[in-house]
Amino acid sequence: MADTFLDSTELVLNMGPQHPSTHGVLRVILKLDGERVLGTECVIGYLHRGVEKIAENRTWQMFAPYVDRMDYVAAVSNGLGYCLAVEKLLGVEAPPRAQAVRVILTELNRIASHLLWLGTHALDIGAITPLFYCMREREYVLNIYEKYCGARLTTHAFRIGGLQYETYEGFEKECLEFCDLFEKKIDEYEELLTGNRIWQQRLTGVGILTAEDCKEYGVTGPMLRAAGVKWDIRKAQPYSGYEKYDFEIPVRENGDTYDRYIVRMQEMRQSVRIVRQAVADIPAGPILAKVGKVIKPPVGEAYVSIEAPKGELGYYVVSDGSTQPYRVRIRPPSFVNLQALDKMCRGALVADVVAIIGTTDIVLGEVDR
Amino acid sequence: MKQLLRKVFLADLIEGLRVTFRHQHPKQIVTEQYPQERPKIGERYRGAPRLNINPDNGETLCIACDLCALACPENLIVVGWERNPETKKKELVTFTYDISRCMFCGLCEDACPVDALELTQDFEMASYTREGAILDRQTLENGLLPTRYRF
Amino acid sequence: MPDDTKPEGASAPEPTSEPAAKPGAEQPAPAEAQPAAEAAPAASAPEKPPAAPAAGGQPAPKPAPAAKPAAAAGAAKPAAAAAPKAPAAMAATPWESDLTRALKEEFGDQILDFSSYAGQNFLAAKPEAAVPILESLKEIHDFDYLVDVTAVHWPDKPEPFEIVYIVYSFARNERIRMKIRIPEGYKPRTAVPVHLTANWLEREVYDMFGVEFEGHPDMRRILLPEEWETFPLRKENSILKMDQHWVQENLGIESGQ
Ligand code: SF4
Ligand code: SF4
Repeated sequence: MADTFLDSTELVLNMGPQHPSTHGVLRVILKLDGERVLGTECVIGYLHRGVEKIAENRTWQMFAPYVDRMDYVAAVSNGLGYCLAVEKLLGVEAPPRAQAVRVILTELNRIASHLLWLGTHALDIGAITPLFYCMREREYVLNIYEKYCGARLTTHAFRIGGLQYETYEGFEKECLEFCDLFEKKIDEYEELLTGNRIWQQRLTGVGILTAEDCKEYGVTGPMLRAAGVKWDIRKAQPYSGYEKYDFEIPVRENGDTYDRYIVRMQEMRQSVRIVRQAVADIPAGPILAKVGKVIKPPVGEAYVSIEAPKGELGYYVVSDGSTQPYRVRIRPPSFVNLQALDKMCRGALVADVVAIIGTTDIVLGEVDR
Repeated sequence: MKQLLRKVFLADLIEGLRVTFRHQHPKQIVTEQYPQERPKIGERYRGAPRLNINPDNGETLCIACDLCALACPENLIVVGWERNPETKKKELVTFTYDISRCMFCGLCEDACPVDALELTQDFEMASYTREGAILDRQTLENGLLPTRYRF
Repeated sequence: MPDDTKPEGASAPEPTSEPAAKPGAEQPAPAEAQPAAEAAPAASAPEKPPAAPAAGGQPAPKPAPAAKPAAAAGAAKPAAAAAPKAPAAMAATPWESDLTRALKEEFGDQILDFSSYAGQNFLAAKPEAAVPILESLKEIHDFDYLVDVTAVHWPDKPEPFEIVYIVYSFARNERIRMKIRIPEGYKPRTAVPVHLTANWLEREVYDMFGVEFEGHPDMRRILLPEEWETFPLRKENSILKMDQHWVQENLGIESGQ
C-alpha cells in the first residue's frame, strides 16, 4: 500500500499568540503527525516589560507595586515574596499581627488563583458552567481585598516590614463567612467535575510528568505534588509564621492532569483550613516593624522563596548598600513550569495540548515579566 | 457493578445538572446591572485622585512639599510652587497628575504628610484623548467630571 | 532636590520617566564609555564599526558613534556625581559543614571559598568547575533540583559577570548557591546535561546579559526578539536606552518610552 497519494507529512501548526486557550499571549509551535504531537516549541516574551531592569531604577519601596503585575492573579503572593526577601536583607521580621494577616491574605489569594485556574481550565475542556461559579466565588475574595487595601487585583497590600493598612472592621467575620460558604462551593465544583465522565476521560493519563521529570525540569507547586513528591515550602522552610498552622500537603501519585486537578481542589480546602486558624488567632500589636522611611539594606544578597499558587516563587535580591536594589532576580514558577510543556505534549493528541496548557497553570505576565 | 449502573443511568451527568439547575433560582442571580446599578465600592478604594481643600476657607491643604512626587515610582506627579514673598512659605501653583501612567499603588497618598492628596472611590476615569488623562490642579480639586459619552 | 528642573507649567510630565532624584547614582561616567569599546558580541550590529582596530585612519577611536546619543541621554546626570564610592564588602561569614568538607576534598582549590550570609550558604568556584560541581552535588549530595540560574553584572570589577546557580535538595531540605565570576567574552559550560531546567534559564541569562553558554543546545534569545541589539540588564544600558532601531523598524513608532 505504498501509495504516495496517501503519504502523510508532518504538519507545523502555529497555536497562538492570540488563542483563547493559551491563557495570554503564548505562542506554541506544534509539529504534528496527524493527530499526534511530535514536538512543541514555545515562543514567549510578548509581555516582556523588563521588570528586573525597572527594579534597578526604583527604590526598594517603589518597586513593590511592580511585582504585583507579574502574576496578576496572585498579586498578594508576589508581594509577600518580595517583602520577605527585602526583610531578609534588612534583618527584620514583620510583627506577629502582620504575619497573621499576611497569611490570611495569601491563602485567600491561593484560593482566588486556583479558582481562576479551575474556571478557565474547565472552559478549555468544554465545561462552561464552572467558570461562572468560580468567578462568582472569586469575587468574594476580591471584595475582601478591595475593602482591605483598596484594590482588587494589583493589590500592593504589603509593605516592607509589615503592612500598611490595619484590618477593617468586620474583616474576620467576612473571612469566616467566606470560608463557610466556600467549603460548600468546593463540594459543588466537585459534584460538577470530579465524577463527570467526560472530565475524567479528557484528563486521566494526559500530560504525565513523573517525579523524576519534575525534578529534572525544576517543576514545582501542585504539579510536583501531583507526581507524588510531598514538598511544599510552607512546610519545608516555613516563612511568615506558617509553622503555627495545621494543614496537610495533598499529594497524588500519577502526575497526570486529573491528579493535578485533584491536588488543586484539595489545596483550596487546606487554604480554607489555614484561613480559619489564622483568623481565629490574629495577635494584637503593631503591624509595621521599624524599618524607617528610607530603606537602605546593608551590602549583601539573599534568596527567599515562597510557595506561590503556581509553585516556588523566588526572589534573589542583591543590595549594594544604596536605596535602590542592585539586582532583583525573580524566579517565576510559571516560566520554569512552562518548560516542561514540551515533555508533556510529546505523543499527546492535539486536543490534549489545550488541557496540558491549562493544567500547567501559567500566567504569561509572570512568564515574560 | 455500581460503577456500571452509574454509567448506564448517566448518574454523573444528572448530578452535575442538578447543581446547574439549583443555580437557576432567582435568589442565586448575582449579575450586577452596572450602569443602572452602582456597585458598592470599598472605602479604601484607590481610584481617581483628588486634591483636598480645606472646607472652612476653600484653600488647598497641599503644602507643596513635593513628597508625593518623590514617592511615586512612575514619577508622574509634578508639583509647581513658588515662594510667597510675604510669608516666605511655599505655595502651590500647579499640580499635574497623569493618570494614564498611574498604577494606583497608593504610595503618593501614603507619602503626603497632610492628607492633601487622596485616591478616591471614583473609578470611572475613561476619556477620549490621552490629554484627557492628564489632570491639572483644578480638576483634581473639583473632582473628575463624568465623561460625556459620544453615542 | 532638583526642583528647578521640573517644568513649571501644566505641561505633560512625559520626559521624566526616570526618577529625577537618584540618591547615589550608580553609573559613573567611565563605566559608560567602557561598554562601547567592548562591542557587544551580538553579531548583528550594523552601524557599529568594530571598536578594536587601533590602526584605522580615524584620529578618534573613541566610543562608537551609534552608542553615543543614547549613552549621553542616560548619563547626563550621573556624570557630575562620578566619584565612585568604594563599595563595602558583604559581611559574610565562613561556612563549614560536612558538605563543604566533602566538596573541598573533591574539588580542592577549584572552590574558592565557602561563606554564609543572612543564614544562607553559598560557595564561590572557578568558572570551569561549575558544571562538575553541579554534577557532584546532584549525584553524590542529592541536590537534585536546580532552582535558578541567573547573573549579576558588576561593571567595575575585572570579572564583571557573576553567574549564580541556586540548587536545592529535597532529601536534605537545604538550599545553596554557587557563584562563578567570569570575564567579558568568557563562555561558561552549559549545565543542561546535568539539569534540563537550565535550558531556558541559561537562555534568559544570555538574553539579558549576553553571556553565552558553551554547548547549550539552543542558545537564542528567549524573551526579547531575535534581532534585538542590546543586553538590557547590563549596567551600562540605562533604563532609557533601548533598541530604538528595532522599535522603529518593527513597531512603526518613534520610541518605546
Ligand atoms: S498611585 Fe502610585 S503610580 Fe499613581 S501617582 Fe500615586 S504613587 Fe504614582
Ligand atoms: S505630598 Fe501632599 S502636601 Fe506634599 S506636595 Fe504632595 S499633595 Fe502636596
